[in-house]
Amino acid sequence: MIQKEKFQKISDFIKKHCTADDFSINMFSSENLTTRFAQNGITQHIKGDNLRMRLEVAFDNKTGAAVCNSLEEDTLLRSIQKAESLAKLNKPDPEFIPSEPAHDLPKTDSASENTAQITTEMMVDDIQKCVKNAEQKKAKISGLSEKTLYNHFLATKNGFLGYYDVSSFSHSMTLKKGGVETKIAHSVQDREKFRMENLIAKLNKQFDSLKDPEKIEPKKLPVILRPEAVATWLFYLVWVFDRREADEGVSPFAKQMGKEFFGKNFTFRSSIIEEDIFSPPFIMSGIPTTDIDWIKNGVIKNMRMSRYYAKKINETAIYPYNIIIDGGNATETEMMKKVKRGVIVNNLWYIRPVDQKRGEWTGLTRDGVLYFEDGKIIKSVNNFRWNEILHEATCRILALGKSEQKEYYVKVPTLLIDDFNFVDVTTF
Amino acid sequence: MNYALMAIDIARSLGADYADIRIQKTTTEQIYLRNLSLKNTSQSEIYGYGIRVFKNGAWGFAHNNVFRKDAVEKTVKEAFNIAKESARVKYGNGLTLAYERGYIDSYKTPYKIDPFSISIDQKVDLMIEVNKTLLNYDKIKRTMFLLECKKDEKHFASTLGSDLEIETLYINPIFTATAVNAEDSQSRTFNDGGKAVGWEWIEGLDLKMIAEKTAEEAIMKLEAGSLKTEERRTLILDPMHLALTMHESVGHPTELDRVLGWEADFAGISFATPEKLGKYQYGSQLVNFVANNTLEGGLATAGYDDDGVPNQKWYIVKDGILNEYGTTRATAPIIGLEMSRGCNRATHYYDFPINRIPNLYLEPGKEELTPQELIADTKDGIYIEDRGSFSIDQHRVNFQFGGDIFWEIKNGKKTRPLKKVIYRSNNPEFWNSVDAICDKRFFRTFGVVNCGKGQPGQRGRMTHGGATARFRNIMVGGSK
Repeated sequence: MIQKEKFQKISDFIKKHCTADDFSINMFSSENLTTRFAQNGITQHIKGDNLRMRLEVAFDNKTGAAVCNSLEEDTLLRSIQKAESLAKLNKPDPEFIPSEPAHDLPKTDSASENTAQITTEMMVDDIQKCVKNAEQKKAKISGLSEKTLYNHFLATKNGFLGYYDVSSFSHSMTLKKGGVETKIAHSVQDREKFRMENLIAKLNKQFDSLKDPEKIEPKKLPVILRPEAVATWLFYLVWVFDRREADEGVSPFAKQMGKEFFGKNFTFRSSIIEEDIFSPPFIMSGIPTTDIDWIKNGVIKNMRMSRYYAKKINETAIYPYNIIIDGGNATETEMMKKVKRGVIVNNLWYIRPVDQKRGEWTGLTRDGVLYFEDGKIIKSVNNFRWNEILHEATCRILALGKSEQKEYYVKVPTLLIDDFNFVDVTTF
Repeated sequence: MNYALMAIDIARSLGADYADIRIQKTTTEQIYLRNLSLKNTSQSEIYGYGIRVFKNGAWGFAHNNVFRKDAVEKTVKEAFNIAKESARVKYGNGLTLAYERGYIDSYKTPYKIDPFSISIDQKVDLMIEVNKTLLNYDKIKRTMFLLECKKDEKHFASTLGSDLEIETLYINPIFTATAVNAEDSQSRTFNDGGKAVGWEWIEGLDLKMIAEKTAEEAIMKLEAGSLKTEERRTLILDPMHLALTMHESVGHPTELDRVLGWEADFAGISFATPEKLGKYQYGSQLVNFVANNTLEGGLATAGYDDDGVPNQKWYIVKDGILNEYGTTRATAPIIGLEMSRGCNRATHYYDFPINRIPNLYLEPGKEELTPQELIADTKDGIYIEDRGSFSIDQHRVNFQFGGDIFWEIKNGKKTRPLKKVIYRSNNPEFWNSVDAICDKRFFRTFGVVNCGKGQPGQRGRMTHGGATARFRNIMVGGSK
């Protein structure tokens, strides 16, 4: 992997040769070890380093960019020439924003030596444990184990200089036998905080709870969305939670800034100090990260904003660099007692917009559904399709569990939501 | 220095059962225009090599972008060691590779005008003219135009003696107009998909006229009615819409890696399991799905796949019956096939090739039939054009689709535009409900350039096609 000092040298080289009025040099490098396994055997095993240099230049407000994956001098010179020639031939950009000046950046620590030390042999050992467990259950296991070390360097003509390292270890696995199929996934920054035995135990518990799914008809039902499902859904909220889109009237959040639009007990934020949750020191083209409330007790406080739009409306450019949903104290057992009947959903799948203006989405359940009644789990049931206006669904949150880490940049609770709109069933 | 042959020699000397190297340069030009602001004008060049080694029934893959003897040697050794390590947790008794021979050959996408020879200002002028045309309409508040040109230059060599030079390219223009009023916002998109052709395609398009139609239809959608009730109705689907339905409900379920459960943890598996081959009624007797990686202008047409297997043509569904899969050298033998259909493809040099959907199309009807005649023959139904919302379960059974523009059909005539229409169906109901397909004069293709699959994620490309078709008794309604 390329280190900071090398990036600095490359940056100096580009600065020396680039004649543009303005420029930003983005460099990323990563070291990856990716192992996929399926049906109790390894099917793909990849090792390699990746590198990207993206040079964005501007002559006045005419812009161009070149991307390459080599830091050899002749490649860099070619990239400078390419970016500059694109910019010179280009038309002016009326929304051009100059590159960022120097900023004081927060100190963040998102790299782990433990994760860096993971080897091919260790990955295979881990997978062997998972396969052994599957064989004991006479089931088939498929999954992914992945180590990623990543760094990002950014320097601009106007003086910005930033760098950070990130490490992550992710493991996911799906256990399948007959009609029962379920998945567990977890990712951490520090491999030392990951226990494969615990993950296998959790997988077994989830798998054992899902015997012989029975068919029940779709209808509006209370739902307990486990954290994996909440995390999956949240990615899609982030996708559309844009201030400019809202102000232009194309999203459901039009004219809702500062108003209680989500459920009162729904709070979504990003934080640079949340333990074990990834936070970079800067985002986009050099904006320092800070703690941000996106939705607080249902009220929209902020939406993501580009540098251009932030300047236009005299605000600060922001982006959800991590996802934290504040939780409560309810256990799943307590949640089941709050409603007469409902379903517990392990995960959601293939979420897509149905009506962007109203905020209606469709999707399915995945990895197992349990039906409960009178506070007790009765049986496992088929997967459902749902069509739901998700921000309205937060207004029907009846209880929240403790917020827990699901991805190295995501921390979310279990949610009990009333009257979730299930519209169809699958055959499994 | 011939690094390809060097890598193959090193792999042989290490004792690889099979090895290949793919030296690949991917050049991408992207221009993204939002209203009249050029958000991205860039050219990217990603160059390197990926080496696969097969040893003891398992794969190892390593990649690098340093073209030096020591770097190539190190990368081959890494791939070899990873294969040996992977063989500790074998798939079954170990993978085997379907028979193939070596080829010395070359392939180049046929085109007249290289899109990379067209200057950036010429492209930008064209795009600005389109967006200005769209923004001339008061109610159009947001426009987006993305133009992508991509070229892949590959040198593939293998221990079978293959030595292949392959150059493919495509162009993909797509623009959207979004109309907004106090109550609603509606978009209309021009998207004919990507095509493996030269710039002459763009020169032949009347983009100003298309832009005017796109803007007018976006505005029309604002005032369009919607279906209040969900009920079983007749659907008539145009080829651009059918491309997406066949991609999701036929293409993916017949990728053999999914069928075998290799994607169980991520993209999902398939209901179309091997015991159904030759028996399963996938569609009505009118339904024939052809896989054709020799299709002219097809995005999966490349001469050979990344296993070094020649491009082929075969039936996935024949007379309504599940006939065959899209296969690779590693997946084909697992179900007893002797040879691969050549569907193993990687996106960049650093990607491991995976089982991909081939160019796949619905054969046109044999009887003469125009879309107008099909509509005239429909008493009560919905006509859908182009792509919209899409979602399908991880076994590829239950799905829900939208579209981009909708018309109500009453007594053989398109009576009023609709918006927010969605339909829900499943396999095998959907394709078995086909009772008419227009003839070959109305066959059109649509190239998918962003088929997400694999871990790490890859963007695959392939072309679909068909002629307007009618589906009976499908559950259709409006959004919530």
